[in-house]
Amino acid sequence: MRHLGSWLARVGVGFVRACVVTVVSLLVPAVWAAAVALGIWWGAGNPWSWVAPFVLVCVGTLALSRPVCRMVRFLVARWTATVIPSGYRQTPQVTQLSTGYWWNGFSYERTSRDALLDQRWRVRWQDPANWRDLRFTAVAPLTAGVVASLPPAGVAAAALGLSQPAPSARLVGAFGLVVAFVSAPYAWRFVEPVAVRFLRPTPAMALADRVDELTAQRADATVAQAAEIRRIERDLHDGAQARLVSLGLSLATAEKLMETDPVQARALMREARAGATASLTELRDLVRGINPPVLNDRGLVDAVRALALDSPLEADVSADLRLRLDPPIESALYFGVAELLTNAVKHAQATRARISISRDTTTIVIDVEDDGRGGARERADGGLAGLRRRLAVFDGTVEITSPAGGPTLVRMMVPCESL
Amino acid sequence: MRIVVAEDLYLLRDGMVRLLEAYGHQVVATATTGTETLQALLRHRPDVAVVDVRMPPTQSDEGLRAALAARRELPGLPVLILSQYVEQLYARELLADGSGGIGYFLKDSVFDADQFIDALERVAAGGTAMDPAVIAKLLSSGSSNRRLEQLTERERSVLSLMAEGLSNHAIGQRLFLSDGAISKYTTSMFGKLGITDDDNNNRRVLAVLAYLNNP
Repeated sequence: MRHLGSWLARVGVGFVRACVVTVVSLLVPAVWAAAVALGIWWGAGNPWSWVAPFVLVCVGTLALSRPVCRMVRFLVARWTATVIPSGYRQTPQVTQLSTGYWWNGFSYERTSRDALLDQRWRVRWQDPANWRDLRFTAVAPLTAGVVASLPPAGVAAAALGLSQPAPSARLVGAFGLVVAFVSAPYAWRFVEPVAVRFLRPTPAMALADRVDELTAQRADATVAQAAEIRRIERDLHDGAQARLVSLGLSLATAEKLMETDPVQARALMREARAGATASLTELRDLVRGINPPVLNDRGLVDAVRALALDSPLEADVSADLRLRLDPPIESALYFGVAELLTNAVKHAQATRARISISRDTTTIVIDVEDDGRGGARERADGGLAGLRRRLAVFDGTVEITSPAGGPTLVRMMVPCESL
Repeated sequence: MRIVVAEDLYLLRDGMVRLLEAYGHQVVATATTGTETLQALLRHRPDVAVVDVRMPPTQSDEGLRAALAARRELPGLPVLILSQYVEQLYARELLADGSGGIGYFLKDSVFDADQFIDALERVAAGGTAMDPAVIAKLLSSGSSNRRLEQLTERERSVLSLMAEGLSNHAIGQRLFLSDGAISKYTTSMFGKLGITDDDNNNRRVLAVLAYLNNP
């Protein structure tokens, strides 16, 4: 009894869903049918009789293709929990220039409204997803639409056939009813594989997205690099260079005073020596910030061990091998670990840290865990965001788990070629 | 003393040789690469060697590796490592065999020539000489920090000078204290850390370094 109840419920739900799928997938063919009907109704000999239907078909198909795809995606997600990424182009930010005009990535417009409107149309028109949507609207009625229309068609056949007195018609009607009942729980399901196959982003779209992503990353990287070079230049100019000039001055003065005032000359020499020591210290700190010596000498694992030794935390390093990676990746990961250890000391007030470096066939994984108070948040201009950007250049990712009260675990992952 | 100098930059090598000769020492050989350094050390068996860490061909830690290899062949061969950077990691590697005769300094320590030559002589005599920067790092690393909490400020400064390789007398001169006061501090310090006090200065310094080096 209960089985029968649940089966009936499935038949009911399936029938409703089949009807919905049928309606959605037949929207565009319905427009075409309407256009054909219009042409026949106007009759031949009238030029409008083919121009108007033609325009109706074109505009209707273009206008309906995207809403139909959105609806199918929504229904599939709702009924089967299969989420299909849409992959539509995103509109970039519009920015106001110093001239007062707005730049939307394509053209200059006088107001932000015009800029947005223009941008929306251009993005919409140039989106490679349009071709995929059109293809889906052509494929869907012939596949998912046909199958999903079985239950409604069966019920329609039953309604027509059973109302006729002829026994053959009644037989057809009864058969239609049986077909409707048997197919109702399953007929709508065919929409899922069709949608997964034809609605996911095409390789061309994935490529376009990847190009956008890389362009953004390249811009980020160049800006960061330029800032870094400026910082180094400034540090050298204000630090070591200035000190060396004063060193030369002291020595020149000392040379002059050698004969006349040896005591004063000796004092100047001492000063010069102190200046040389100070400028060396500055240069050392600068170089450490560019490319730490241990990283250059020994590679990532030993450099991280040295970092752990120098940290005021009790830091254990477990690394399962002496791996050598490309210098840029090593550098990014090293500065990542340095950043995280600094955070652990400064913000989380941790006392212990655990760093593990491991590698499987395709990924380098570095975990940095501390026993601090947690609650680490990523701010747009903060160190963690910078770390994410630095690793993104190598398609690396950062995962941060930091509940309030700790502990904080940050996992950095960078893909690498298998050995 | 008979000294080998390993340094790839001509200006520095030349300056070093002149400085050593000005103090009346004899430079028996110079080397400019890691392999040359190892050969010179093994062939000449100098009283002490002054070795730069970064040398051709790889421009990595060639000099350090050569020194460690030579000391494996000739245990206790006195070597003073000079570098633009002092790294705790390298200091720990140098101290790991615990046999003394090791120095590790920043290059600018040469600016104070008297102290540099003094350190060189200490190393040649089988003692140790560590740059204050190295010792500061050893003292402030996470695990040491916890174990040194029980020391007073004055005891800590005595400990760090001792770890640099100075004798009680030299420590007294640096801190303007009498020898008696220093030995009082060292006794209480060794008691707190549980290190056995040793009359021989070199062995005592090694004990302190071993203690700090033990993470």
